[in-house]
Amino acid sequence: MATAGISESAASSSSYLDIPLHIKYIQNLDKRQDLAYHLTSHLRLNGIYWGLTASHIMGQPSALDKEGVIEYVLSCWDGESGTFGPHPGHDGHILATLSGIQIMLMQDAIDRINVESITQFLLERINDDGSVSGDSWGEIDTRFTYICLSSLNLLGKLNQIPLEKKEKIIEHISKCRNLDGGFGRVPGAESHSGQIWVCTAALSILDRQDLIEVPLLASWLSERQLPNGGLNGRPEKLEDVCYSWWCLASISILGKLNWINKDKLINFILGAQDLEDGGIADRPGDWVDVFHTIFGVAGLSLLGYPGLQDIDPVYCMPASLIDKLDIRKPYATLERMTSYP
Amino acid sequence: MHGIKRTRITPQAAEAKRLKEQGKIEAYLALEQDVLSRKRSKDYTTESLEQTTKLLDLNPEFYTIWNFRRNILLSLFPSLSPEEVVFYLKSDLKLTTSYLLVHPKVYWIWNHRIWCLKSVPTNPDGTKQWKEEFWKGELKLVEKMLDADSRNFHAWDYRRYVLSSLPTQKPLSDELKYTKSKIESNFSNFSAWHCRTKTLLSIWEKEKTSEDKIRKTKDEEFDLVTQALWTDPADQSGWLYHRWLIGSEPPIEVLNREIKNIKDLHEAEPDSKWCMNALAHYTLLSAKYSITSEGDQQKLKEEAKGYYQRLEQVDLDRKERYRDMGKFTSK
Repeated sequence: MATAGISESAASSSSYLDIPLHIKYIQNLDKRQDLAYHLTSHLRLNGIYWGLTASHIMGQPSALDKEGVIEYVLSCWDGESGTFGPHPGHDGHILATLSGIQIMLMQDAIDRINVESITQFLLERINDDGSVSGDSWGEIDTRFTYICLSSLNLLGKLNQIPLEKKEKIIEHISKCRNLDGGFGRVPGAESHSGQIWVCTAALSILDRQDLIEVPLLASWLSERQLPNGGLNGRPEKLEDVCYSWWCLASISILGKLNWINKDKLINFILGAQDLEDGGIADRPGDWVDVFHTIFGVAGLSLLGYPGLQDIDPVYCMPASLIDKLDIRKPYATLERMTSYP
Repeated sequence: MHGIKRTRITPQAAEAKRLKEQGKIEAYLALEQDVLSRKRSKDYTTESLEQTTKLLDLNPEFYTIWNFRRNILLSLFPSLSPEEVVFYLKSDLKLTTSYLLVHPKVYWIWNHRIWCLKSVPTNPDGTKQWKEEFWKGELKLVEKMLDADSRNFHAWDYRRYVLSSLPTQKPLSDELKYTKSKIESNFSNFSAWHCRTKTLLSIWEKEKTSEDKIRKTKDEEFDLVTQALWTDPADQSGWLYHRWLIGSEPPIEVLNREIKNIKDLHEAEPDSKWCMNALAHYTLLSAKYSITSEGDQQKLKEEAKGYYQRLEQVDLDRKERYRDMGKFTSK
């Protein structure tokens, strides 16, 4: 198979993570303002969160201009919805909200945002049946459930959810559970690693991990690893570096990271680096982007790759910060190696 | 960027590309500026609507523009006749169809479509003719989308949504036929197997099906999945379905029959990890039955342990899982 050939040769040519090059890549993201850059402005705030978190995990939390980032986040405020949009002039949405909070926490500037208004926005997204909407237009998705809970917990406002609503949220997540122990977007939807991560992490935040069938789900997650070392998101699909986060963070929350082949996955992620211009791609030989860069780096961190900072699998943020906020939930990562291979 | 091959280009070529793009970028930014300023001033006019179409043509992921578009339509509708409203909604469905064919995985396009369908008015004569007509068309669209990509979860979710929203409900048995045709054309299509589990559960719940009848249906399902397992024992889709059919407390005769069937397959495929995984799990399950004597229980646990030990050797990437599972067997 052609792809297997590429990944093998690429993996052998890159046996280490080129941190300086990836930091440079992240620092330059804003400089290449081509058409694709402008067409993705609806992901800009998420992009900054991805780049900033990757810098933190690679040990360079000051890689981006601190005040510049803070100013930008503040400029994304949408007064009408009372929360952040992804870019100035865009509508507020729960997707941008979490990124805004995460960035401001990492920049130690949470006192500069309107926590009350954001809390209000988040609480209003919780529907009577326990589902959570992304904005006032009403789309529901378990991603939004997670974002709502994670955001509130990061802000220290989780206890503002009324008890009966909390029960409804738990009920809704349970309705999204499937035969394979995994979870889908909405009740009835097929299990998908991304949705499994959000549901597993959401149940963790609510201290309801008991609702997860651990051996069944962790087995399913371990089957996501393909012979080339990469992970896929669903049965009989292609591998992709971003699942090094969705699957791996889930299996870390379940305490079963040893159920996959660590070395093979490390080599797969390393093989997806662009060693000329920096960044990590979905799979070896493809164009890189900041989304796959953070999830590749984050996956390597969970696997104990040397020289990286710890990441918290429930919040996808630096573990030291989560510990400082005192909102850590149970999970297990692999011991940090001193050298690799 | 998913699945786009990286190519090396010279700095000169990159500069040429940038210059070539420059005009496009300027035009895009000017249009964006115009639409966002109309949005700020709440300029809910047909001119604004046309501008949103132009911008969405270039960038259908720009959700703020979809929101603005809906606000324009919501503002126009009260002064329009129901026929005119239907006309607008029809043209938006046409628009989203053309986008979905190019961008089948963009959430915002699917969302807008759902909003359009929910906005279809009742006919002036009080009938639901328009609603019927609109929703029926959706099934055709979604079948087309699933023909193009049979694993697109957006399309599968949308299909479930459409089926639950049809003004005149279709019998659930139709969905069994549909998933069966999808499965038979490709046993690897786990999305279809998954959908089948949900459909069967809905039928059983809705019709309050008796245990006997459920068991009969399951027997037919076992026949179907056995075909899949024998066709390609390395494909996990069928195994997941099989395990769902077995469940947590199958009748002991069913469990023993299935264990025997899988043993037959295992004999033909001695290295199949899926056969061994299923046998280990089902053997442990059968050890739980009270009619099993204590001596037999011990034997069954040993048998399961044997499978896990063998799995540690044939499926090296997951050897620690099998080691852990092997430890559970003695509990």
